[in-house]
Order: sequence, then C-alpha cells, then structure tokens
Amino acid sequence: MWYFAWILGVLLACSFGIINAMWLEVTENLDRGDNPESGPAGKDSGQPG
Amino acid sequence: MDETVVDLSRLQFAITAFYHFLFVPLTLGLAFLLAIMESVYVMTGKQIYKDMVKFWGKLFGINFALGVTTGLTMEFQFGTNWAYYSHYVGDVFGAPLAIEGLMAFFLESTFIGLFFFGWDRLTRLQHLIVTWLVAIGSNLSALWILIANGWMQNPVGAEFNYETMRMEMSSFSELIFNPVAQVKFVHTVSAGYVTGAMFVLAISAYFMLKKRDLPFARRSFAIASSFGLASILSVIVLGDESGYELGDVQRTKLAVIEAEWDTHEAPAAFTLIGFPNEERMETDYAVKIPYALGLIATRSLDEEVTGIKDLIEEHEQRIRNGMQAYAILQQLKAGQDDAGTIAAFEEVKDDLGYGLLLKKYTNTVTDATEEQIAQAARDTIPAVAPMFWTFRIMVGLGFLMLFLIGASFYYASKHVVEHQTWLLKALIIALPAPWIACEMGWFVAEFGRQPWSIGEVLPTALSVSSRSASDLWMSLGAFIAFYSGLLVVELYLMFRFARLGPSCLKTGRYHFETQDSNGPGVGVPQQSLA
Amino acid sequence: MDYESLKLVWWVLIGVLLIGFAVTDGFDMGVVSLLKVLGKTDEERRIMLNSVGPHWDGNQVWFITAGGAIFAAWPIVYAVAFSGLYWALLLVLFALFFRPVGFEYRSKIESSRWRNNWDWLLTIGGAVPALVFGVAFGNLFLGLPFTLDELMQTRYLGSFWQLLSPFALLCGVVSLAMLAMHGATFLQLKTDEQLLVRARGMTLIAALVTLVAFLLAGVWLAFGIDGYSIQGALEPGAVMTPLDKQVQTGSVSWLVNYESYPLTLMAPIGAVLFLLGTGYLTLTHRAGLAFVCSSLAVALIICTAGFSLFPFIMPSSIDPVFSLTVWDVVSSEKTLGIMFVVALIFVPIVLAYTLWSYYKMWGVIREQDIHDNQVGMY
Ligand code: HDD
Ligand code: HEM
Ligand code: HEM
Repeated sequence: MWYFAWILGVLLACSFGIINAMWLEVTENLDRGDNPESGPAGKDSGQPG
Repeated sequence: MDETVVDLSRLQFAITAFYHFLFVPLTLGLAFLLAIMESVYVMTGKQIYKDMVKFWGKLFGINFALGVTTGLTMEFQFGTNWAYYSHYVGDVFGAPLAIEGLMAFFLESTFIGLFFFGWDRLTRLQHLIVTWLVAIGSNLSALWILIANGWMQNPVGAEFNYETMRMEMSSFSELIFNPVAQVKFVHTVSAGYVTGAMFVLAISAYFMLKKRDLPFARRSFAIASSFGLASILSVIVLGDESGYELGDVQRTKLAVIEAEWDTHEAPAAFTLIGFPNEERMETDYAVKIPYALGLIATRSLDEEVTGIKDLIEEHEQRIRNGMQAYAILQQLKAGQDDAGTIAAFEEVKDDLGYGLLLKKYTNTVTDATEEQIAQAARDTIPAVAPMFWTFRIMVGLGFLMLFLIGASFYYASKHVVEHQTWLLKALIIALPAPWIACEMGWFVAEFGRQPWSIGEVLPTALSVSSRSASDLWMSLGAFIAFYSGLLVVELYLMFRFARLGPSCLKTGRYHFETQDSNGPGVGVPQQSLA
Repeated sequence: MDYESLKLVWWVLIGVLLIGFAVTDGFDMGVVSLLKVLGKTDEERRIMLNSVGPHWDGNQVWFITAGGAIFAAWPIVYAVAFSGLYWALLLVLFALFFRPVGFEYRSKIESSRWRNNWDWLLTIGGAVPALVFGVAFGNLFLGLPFTLDELMQTRYLGSFWQLLSPFALLCGVVSLAMLAMHGATFLQLKTDEQLLVRARGMTLIAALVTLVAFLLAGVWLAFGIDGYSIQGALEPGAVMTPLDKQVQTGSVSWLVNYESYPLTLMAPIGAVLFLLGTGYLTLTHRAGLAFVCSSLAVALIICTAGFSLFPFIMPSSIDPVFSLTVWDVVSSEKTLGIMFVVALIFVPIVLAYTLWSYYKMWGVIREQDIHDNQVGMY
C-alpha cells in the first residue's frame, strides 16, 4: 500500500522539519549576527504585518 | 490519418505538459514547507517564522499563478487535440479528472485565497489549518491526475464495449489502487518536495553568501534541509520501485531504459553507461554492473528481465490476434451479434489494441501484409537512446541532490553551514537540478509509453482529433509565444523578489530597509534585539 | 437508480456546474471586464481587483470541474465540442491565461505602465470568455457542422468565422451584458463612494441590455430558427450511440418544451422578473438583495437555454442524425453511478467551505485598506 506509506511518509517528513527547527531554536542562537542588521525574532507584537 | 497532425499534436501536448510541470513540483513542495514554517510560528509565536511564511508565500504565489494558467490548458487539451482518445476512454479516464476538480482544485484554490488575504481575518490556528489544506489540496490534485496517468500506462479495471465502441469502467477500486499509479504518485510528489526543498535551500544559501538576513536564512535552511533529506531519500528509494512486472508497456519501458536487447539469464546486469545502437540492436562500450538490473527490476535473483528482441516477437503475435479481433468487431458492428461471434470476440479482444496499431499502415487492418505486421511490431519499441540517456540524467541528478541535501543537513545541524562556502555555491548552481530531473522523468514515463496513448489499448496515432496541420501549426505557435512571454515575466518577478529577500514584505525589519537608517528599523519589539 | 434516471441526473448536474460557474466566476469576470470602465484611478482599480481577489481562483474551478465532468459523463460531447470548436476554445483559454497572472503580478511592481498593461490584459481575460461562451451557446441552437462515423470518430467541417452569425452574436451580447451586470452588482457590495455610484449605474445599464437582448433572442428563436426533434420511439434507458436514433429538423420549434411542460416557463419568466428586480433593488440601494436577484437571473437565463434545447446537447447541422442528445452521449451506467455518489459527497462540502471563505472575507474594501496593506493586496 504505497498510498498508506505516503501518508506516513509526509507526516514524518513534516514532523522532521518542525522538530529540527524547534531543536535548533533551543540549541543554537539562530539570531547571532555577524553584521549589524541581523533581524530580530521577537514575540509576535500582534500588529498586522 | 495525417502523420504531421499526429506529430504536431504530440509536440503540443508535450510542450504544454512540460510547461505545466515546471510549476507543479514547486507548488507541491513549497506548500508543505510553508505549512511547516507556519506550524513552528504557531508553536513558538516568533514573528520571524510568520515573516518566513509570508516571504516564501510570495514566491509561492508567483509560481502558483503560472501553475493554474498552464493547468487550464491541460484540462481542455484532451478534447481539443485528442478527440478520439476522449471518446474512447472518457468513461474511465474522465472520472479521476472530474474528481480532481471536485476534491482537490476547489480545496486548494479556495483556501489559497484565504492564505493570502486572510492573515488579519482568521485566528492563528485557523490560518494554520488553511495553509495545511492548501498543501493537502495540491497533493490530492497530484493524486487524481496520476491515477489517470497511471491508468494510461497500465489500464486496469476497464473493458472494451463493442456496442459503444469504447473502454468502459469495470472496477473503480482497481483504477484507484492501480499499483503503477501508486508508485507513480509517491515518486512524483516526493520529487515535488525535493524541488521545494532545493528552492528554499538555494535562495537561503544566496542570503548566507551575501551575509544578509542570517537569522531568516538559517531557519529556512534548517527546515528545508531536514524536509528535503526525507524527500530525496523517498525519491531514490522508491524510484526504482515502479512496478515493472505489471503491464506490457512497463515491461517494454524497462527493457528500453536498460537497453536490454536480449533476454539474459537471471539475474541480469545493469548497464551503467554505454551507447545504444538501434540498427544493430546492441549497446556499444557498455559498462555493466552484474546482478544489479535483476535486483532493481524484479527484486529477486531468479526472475528474468525480458529483452527487446523477445518483446518484439511477443508483440507480433498479439498483432495477429488483434487483426482477428478487428475482423470480428466488424461483423459485430454489421449486426451479426449472435452468441458465437461474441464469444469469439471475447477471446481475442484484449489484443484489439494491437490490431489498431496497423491502422497507421492500412485502414482496413485485416489485409495487412507481413511487412506491415513486422513494422508495427517494431513500432512497439520506443527509441532506445533517448530513453537510456534521460533516465540516467534523472538518476544522476538524484544522487547529486542526495549528496547536496545530505551535506546541507549535516552542516546545518552542526551550526556551521554559513562557513561552507563551497556548499552554498554548489546549492545555487544546482538549483535547476530538480526541475531537470522531473522533466527527464516525465520524458521516460511518457515517451516510453509510445506508440500507445493507452497502453495495449489505444495507439497514439489513432487518438488525435481531425484538425488540419495548419490549425496545429498555428495553435502550437500561439502556445509557444504566450507561454514564453509568461515565463519571462514570471522569472523576472521571481528573481526580483528572491533578490529583495524578506525586505519585500516592507516590515522594516530586514536588509535593505535597516541599512540606511541606523540599526534595526521601526516597529521592532525591544526585547528581541540581540 | 436506473440508467435513464442517471442520464437525467447528469444533465441536471452538468447544468448545476455551469450555473455554479456563471454565478461565481461570472461576477469576477464581470468585475475585471469593467476594470477600465469603472476604475478611474489606480486605487479604484485595486479595490475592484481585491474585491474578487480571494475568490476568483476558487470560482474558476467551477469551470474546470464542469470541463472534467463533461469528460467523465458525456465523453463524446467533450470530444466533439472541444475539437470542433477548437479556435473558440483556444481563444477562451488564451484570454483566461491573463487572469491568474494578471491578478497575481499586476500590483507587484509600482510602475504605471506595467499596471496599465495588465489592466488591459485582465479586461480581455474577463470580457472575451464571457462573449465567446454566449456565442457558443447561440450556435447550439443553430446546429454545428460535425459528422460522426461508426467508430465514433468525429469531423468538423466549419470554421471559426462561421460561428459569428447574427443570432450567435446576440447570444454573446446576452452573456457579456449579464456577467457585466452581475459583476457590477457584486461591486455594490464591496465598494463605497464614487466607485459604488458608478457600479450602480453600470448595473442598471447592463441589466437593461441583458433584458432587451434576452427577449430579442427569445423572439428570434420562436420565429426565425428551426428546432430539432427526435423521431419515433426511443428507449431512453438503453445503451446507445448517437447514431441509434432518428432526428428531424424544420418541423418543430425550439420552444416546444415550454408547451409540453408549462412549468418550465418559470425559467424565462423568472429570468425577466429577476432582471427587473436587480434594477429596482439597485435603485433603492439594497445591494445584498440585488446580488441575490442578479444571481438568480443568471441561473435562470442558463436554465432557459438548457430547457429549450432538451434533450439535445449539440445538434448537427450537417445531418440531424449525428446530433448529440442527453440519451446517447453518456458514459456507462457504472461510471455515471460512481460519479453521482462522488458529486453527492463533495458538492456540499465544497459549497460549505466556499461559503465560509466568503463569510470570512465579507465587507467593503476602502482605499484606506489598500494603503494599509500595500504589499499584501493585489
Ligand atoms: C493524465 C494524463 C497525463 C499526464 C498526467 C501527463 N501526460 Fe504526458 N501525455 C499524455 C497524458 C498525460 C497524453 C495525452 O496521452 C499524451 C499525448 C500524446 C500521447 O501519446 O500521450 C502525452 C504525451 C506526452 C509527451 C509526448 C510523448 C511523445 O509523444 O513522444 C510528453 C513528453 C509528455 N506527455 C510529458 C508529460 C509531462 C511533462 C507531464 C507532467 C505534467 C505529463 N506528460 C503528464
Ligand atoms: C494532463 C494532465 C493534467 C491536467 C489536465 C491538469 C489540470 C490542471 C488544472 C486545470 C490546474 C489549475 C487548477 C486551478 O485553477 O486552481 C492545475 C494545477 C495544478 N496541477 Fe495540474 N494538470 C495535469 C497534470 C498535473 C500533474 C502531473 C500534476 C502533479 C503531479 C499536477 C498537479 C497540479 C498542481 C499541484 C496544481 C496547482 C494548482 C492547483 O491545484 O490549483 N497536474 N492542473
Ligand atoms: C535516483 C533515483 C531515481 C530513480 C531510480 C528513478 C526512477 C524513475 C523511473 C523508473 C521513472 C519512470 C516511471 C514510469 O515510466 O512509469 C521515473 C519517473 C519520474 N521521475 Fe524518477 N527516479 C529517480 C530520481 C528522480 C529524481 C531525483 C526526480 C526529481 C526530483 C525524479 C522525478 C521523476 C518524475 C517527475 C517522474 C515522472 C512521473 C512518474 O512516472 O513517476 N526522479 N523515475
């Protein structure tokens, strides 16, 4: 059943992406800047953007 | 039948389909990447992830517009240019196309509107769901169209009805669960995910090389490399799993891809590289890997892979049966439909399609000469060299991308990608690779199906509409002109916005905006300043 | 359900899809075809574009799905109509190409030349399909020059220019005016100030043109055009091909169904009343009701055409025997049955989330909204 494999596979690949991003957020300072204008990653200020 | 019209119709279909598939894979892949980014946004609440969704979403939109445009052509082209095809198989083939509209296009197209315009009107969670639905919708559309396409390669669940002179559905579930459609679907959508990942990786690499918007680029890069790694593994691992035992067309394709002229004793060797020679039916300078083909194609060491020469012989026999089938069909049409005739027809009707191959040489089919039969049998083998090479380009690019994405993932996890200048440059250079691989893949699948439009059922030459060659020249010219113009505009916008980077969102937080004012732009929450 | 009922059900379902297309995509085509007429400034044109911005793509899927459904349910109609009307269909396609790219790309660059060019292309994308659909419908009443052989191969013996007969062009006017009215009525819901005033004026003009052209076409059909009718007994529930029946032309009128089934007269009468209603409600500034009326008018005008033709779908002017009818163009019973179930499940789901998306995007768009969201909006 390849369709079934696909459903599992996409879920897996997406979770992999999400978890990887979350993990890097925790272990690494993604906002360290090598140059002055490195952007911020603050909490959503709630303004429509 | 006019050969020019057939050739021009094929060319027009090929051009418009290749075009459509320039935009489809990016839609398929980027949609999931957007959904991932937005999920992280909702989970962490960090504004930068929202900006990522918006920026990559903008590029998504620019691509999507042309996906829709070129898809419109596809939907109607079966009717305009393949009228006999449409009549002959519409009963089966039309169903997945209609379901695709109802189930997938509506979903994706309705929610894409909310995706772009709903930021201020939906709650965060609602918007996240909308984004996921866009992604699911695009994949469902791929599902149904590939069920349709898989049926053309391996027409299961259908039978010929002499009363209506067409194929009719006998089992809907066989149509959906056609093994060829299943592998095709998994392989094709995974190829789309790879395309999306390579796109995000290459553009993020560009920002990194320019040392711009690094926090933005790092996060995008990390997500794309992990999603991409899973996807490229799926493409490659599932790539060879294409169900080649099934259906005559797939068996023939396999032999042709491998330039397997003779049936070799199991397990067959895989020809890594060489120069297929059609005339002598040999491959010059072949470099072979023992056992590999047997393993790839049959997953075993003791099953044979049928060679081209033997396939031609089999096909010749089936053409002879097909002539009989055609003769009986004529009797049935003439009103002689007693039980005996019907039974005789049932016996040979599976080979009717082979008989129709002779229509190219003689309109009456039943009076074909030995020469014509031999010629028709020879026609059942698509040209070997183009198949051989395009397949190897796809596979080669697949391994290249595996390496690049693997390295990206590795260095991203070790937090040192920014310093691997060679990798960043290579990613940018390799940006066209997934598109080339996808188009090569379609070439293998579709050119390898020739001379059939529906494998073993309906020859391509018989499928066309009765338009004149001048109609075709004009429409072909018009398509090329329109599509080229649109592509130029699309690429212009794509490059422009990719270069601008997230500053195109005009939030005041990114490179180009913060450059001339001192420090970060206005509207930046204080606590976030690093 | 038996085969005969399934055949009828699919005639209704394809009608529903075409009406869904005209009622939803119809207003966004109307809006863009009026882009240059009603929008005097860049801001106004952006308001118009954004009024349909979130919806045009979903709406267009009615058209695509109608195409797919005809393929699945009436394969031979799909084959004969689109290969025969090759250039007409390509004209529609090429015009439609401008919409996705026009909407998406127009406001991405701040250059008035760029925007002005896209505005023209978008206008084409709205007006040309509207016109061609009407012309094509008109030609159904006149019959199209195609043949069929016993293998069901089709041949078309006419040219594109022959489609442009006076009656067909009149039908084109009905269709274009009707969608312009519908689009302008939608704009009444979505705009204010100057633009609203102009939209009201346009609604009135377009409704009037639609009314006059519609009535004129009806009179022409009654007195000037031969109808087609099936001769002799016919087993509607049987498996058959278009060649298995006898057809006659010249002796009957296209309006004969209205005599046989007087209830169907509700369609043309209703269409006229709702056209008048749209005008009246516009004058009294009740935009919501005006839009409902205009939608119903559009739906009933299409019903009028469908009822008049029934059971014909595409008559042949070469030899009436080739004519395609509801009874003999259909897919197998099995396919019709399966597709019916699919439609029963998915059409309500589609309607539900479509309504949700309209509900979420409800409300007038003002110039201020465009200024506040330069980047996000069309
Ligand atoms: C649902 C059916 C379907 C799907 C999903 C595709 N095609 Fe296909 N293709 C056809 C149905 C088809 C066809 C209508 O059956 C053609 C026209 C002539 C023929 O033999 O097959 C065809 C021909 C055809 C040819 C010409 C082969 C030849 O005549 O030598 C090429 C190169 C492609 N297609 C490429 C593609 C690409 C790049 C696709 C990706 C979007 C694609 N096809 C999807
Ligand atoms: C002959 C075959 C095809 C036809 C008739 C076709 C038809 C269409 C149409 C009409 C659209 C526009 C939908 C809209 O307006 O929103 C579209 C878009 C799209 N198609 Fe195709 N297509 C074909 C091949 C493919 C293939 C092979 C794939 C994927 C494997 C694919 C995936 C998509 C996707 C993802 C979109 C994006 C837009 C959307 O779903 O709305 N299509 N296609
Ligand atoms: C590396 C190993 C790969 C193998 C062994 C492989 C194998 C195949 C085969 C055998 C086909 C033909 C299927 C048929 O005719 O029915 C195919 C088609 C295709 N391939 Fe690949 N492929 C590989 C990599 C890739 C890559 C990297 C991409 C793109 C990113 C790709 C994209 C496609 C597409 C779009 C098709 C056409 C759709 C289909 O028929 O499934 N492939 N592939």
